[in-house]
Amino acid sequence: MAGAGGGNDIQWCFSQVKGAVDDDVAEADIISTVEFNYSGELLATGDKGGRVVIFQQEQENKIQSHSRGEYNVYSTFQSHEPEFDYLKSLEIEEKINKIRWLPQKNAAQFLLSTNDKTIKLWKISERDKRPEGYNLKEEDGRYRDPTTVTTLRVPVFRPMDLMVEASPRRIFANAHTYHINSISINSDYETYLSADDLRINLWHLEITDRSFNIVDIKPANMEELTEVITAAEFHPNSCNTFVYSSSKGTIRLCDMRAAALCDRHSKLFEEPEDPSNRSFFSEIISSISDVKFSHSGRYMMTRDYLSVKIWDLNMENRPVETYQVHEYLRSKLCSLYENDCIFDKFECCWNGSDSVVMTGSYNNFFRMFDRNTKRDITLEASRENNKPRTVLKPRKVCASGKRKKDEISVDSLDFNKKILHTAWHPKENIIAVATTNNLYIFQDKVN
Amino acid sequence: MEFKLEAHRIVSISLGKIYNSRVQRGGIKLHKNLLVSLVLRSARQVYLSDPCPGLYLAGPTGIPTVPPPQQPGEPVAGPPSGWGEPPPPSARAALPEPEPQPQRPSVCHTPGAGSSEPVAAVAGAGDALRGGEADSAAAAWGRVERPRAVASGGGSDTCPEGPRAVRRPCGCPPAREEQPAEDGSPAPPAPCPRKRGAAGVGGGRAGCPAAPGSTPLKKPRRNSEEQPSTGEEDTDEEMETGNVANLISIFGSSFSGLLRKSPAVGREGEEAEESGPEAAEPGQICCDKPVLRDMSPWSTAIVAF
Repeated sequence: MAGAGGGNDIQWCFSQVKGAVDDDVAEADIISTVEFNYSGELLATGDKGGRVVIFQQEQENKIQSHSRGEYNVYSTFQSHEPEFDYLKSLEIEEKINKIRWLPQKNAAQFLLSTNDKTIKLWKISERDKRPEGYNLKEEDGRYRDPTTVTTLRVPVFRPMDLMVEASPRRIFANAHTYHINSISINSDYETYLSADDLRINLWHLEITDRSFNIVDIKPANMEELTEVITAAEFHPNSCNTFVYSSSKGTIRLCDMRAAALCDRHSKLFEEPEDPSNRSFFSEIISSISDVKFSHSGRYMMTRDYLSVKIWDLNMENRPVETYQVHEYLRSKLCSLYENDCIFDKFECCWNGSDSVVMTGSYNNFFRMFDRNTKRDITLEASRENNKPRTVLKPRKVCASGKRKKDEISVDSLDFNKKILHTAWHPKENIIAVATTNNLYIFQDKVN
Repeated sequence: MEFKLEAHRIVSISLGKIYNSRVQRGGIKLHKNLLVSLVLRSARQVYLSDPCPGLYLAGPTGIPTVPPPQQPGEPVAGPPSGWGEPPPPSARAALPEPEPQPQRPSVCHTPGAGSSEPVAAVAGAGDALRGGEADSAAAAWGRVERPRAVASGGGSDTCPEGPRAVRRPCGCPPAREEQPAEDGSPAPPAPCPRKRGAAGVGGGRAGCPAAPGSTPLKKPRRNSEEQPSTGEEDTDEEMETGNVANLISIFGSSFSGLLRKSPAVGREGEEAEESGPEAAEPGQICCDKPVLRDMSPWSTAIVAF
């Protein structure tokens, strides 16, 4: 099978790879989040070192339509720095947990980036002109001797080399005791939510000194804690609706019109556990690591350790579709527990038309599932195929027994090479896949 | 038996993770520690529930006593047999670890409180030997888990099936009432062996079956409180180095984790498991139950918050 895609089969081709080639990965370079903006023109990545790198798609090739434009570095800035909480003697990591773009309202671009404790609103603006012809200053800024000024002129703007500046416009701090795992911008484009392990807060983009707590699952007695919030997202169309997922594998949909504190859900999505699969690690693998609404708002997708599930918002008792990502790992859970891989939080994403979903796996594999054709494909992000427009070859993991040619056995999978973060262009078949410290961009083959 | 070993191994690994999480950059990760503590609990349950033939003096393996009805927040009455019913959440909160711990009161972690599973916190319970089982069961394990119990003359406490069964139900209420704050000891039934030990009686007490009188039980429990701390420390180290290495080499690598949790057994397991982890805690001064360790950052967070 060549590819997954509605109707015509898509063939995925290598386009670009960003990042260092070394095998020795500096910890600060580990990519921790990837996100396209609303138009798809910009692609932002955040890393463990607290930096944000934004790539911009070039416009030139679009006219030729031989291939879509390449993404080149547009802006790089240090979003968060490591901090130290003196009260609790805890270091606060600068790792960027999530980036979310705001829709563009003027010439500048805005995005929210967050680490464990603080959310920042960044303005990314271009400067391609500068004023020249001051009366009192030379071009290099030195002040002129006033006695030499004999005429007056009006400064004019002259073109200059493009400069992209990022400046923090708002800092939303001190609202989370626990580690922030999600931020989500409301469809009203004025408010957004931030979620940590036990609470969800609602913010207004203009107001930094207060936020509203809308969900609080912290028990009065912490000893009774049984579950934590793992992800949260606003509905794409209904500004009063949001969902949050838990470590127990449940998703709660809440309506902010019902009450100020949305501790009581409007809907609870939960699939009964299959008793035949019970093990020591059942609870861990049922913990949901990501939840994403479809663009239409009718469905939502959840990712747990071994599978991706699609839920219809109108049906709470079970998902409408379930896709196994790497079921061959089920017998390896103990080893994966030992090496901590079982705690990896994979993300998932929809394509623009909600017909295909994608998520990552190990060995730098990532998987796509076509909801219409029910076909799936496994591809690999590797520098071996790095000639542009090289069609990616589907990969296959052999779960047991005889390994066919070109298949990879489970035991030879590299569990240090994991793809946790992927993003799909909102309109086109362009995907961004993050390996540990590299960002791969793949496109569908355009003839 | 295999399951026991595997469960033991998982417990050791889990403890190691919790221990290491304290020094991780960025602070304790609540989610991960919660998941690890759930695995810990499951492993303990399995460990305790896995019947080793011959260990019981009488009666079917896996004492099939019907667990007392669970009430939300109740620690579950109880593992039949002397494991000691988990103290009620509040009590538990008040204490639970067999060893004295500074944070004990707040530390008691009761994951799933309100669920039917006994809270892992039952430390004291863990200590209690479940009749003969603990004694013989994995001698190493038993040794670790509960030095007290052993001291109390592990084997001597022959609580036959009958009394054990009787104990269970009895255990519940007393367990609930009895929650001495400091001592994790579970209900009277549970402490039977312990009590005996503490009281220095080789086997004397016929009585677990006896009633769940709280009064007589309290004393021994307190006495026994001291023992574990010291005892366990030594055994901890010992357990850590000797047994774990052996177990791992015996058991090899993958475990398909196929044990089912059976409710009744599970409950029993809970208590016992609790003590296990503590005991196995590397370098820990027993006083720090792994779960507790989980709690301390939470407590800190709570306080700070």
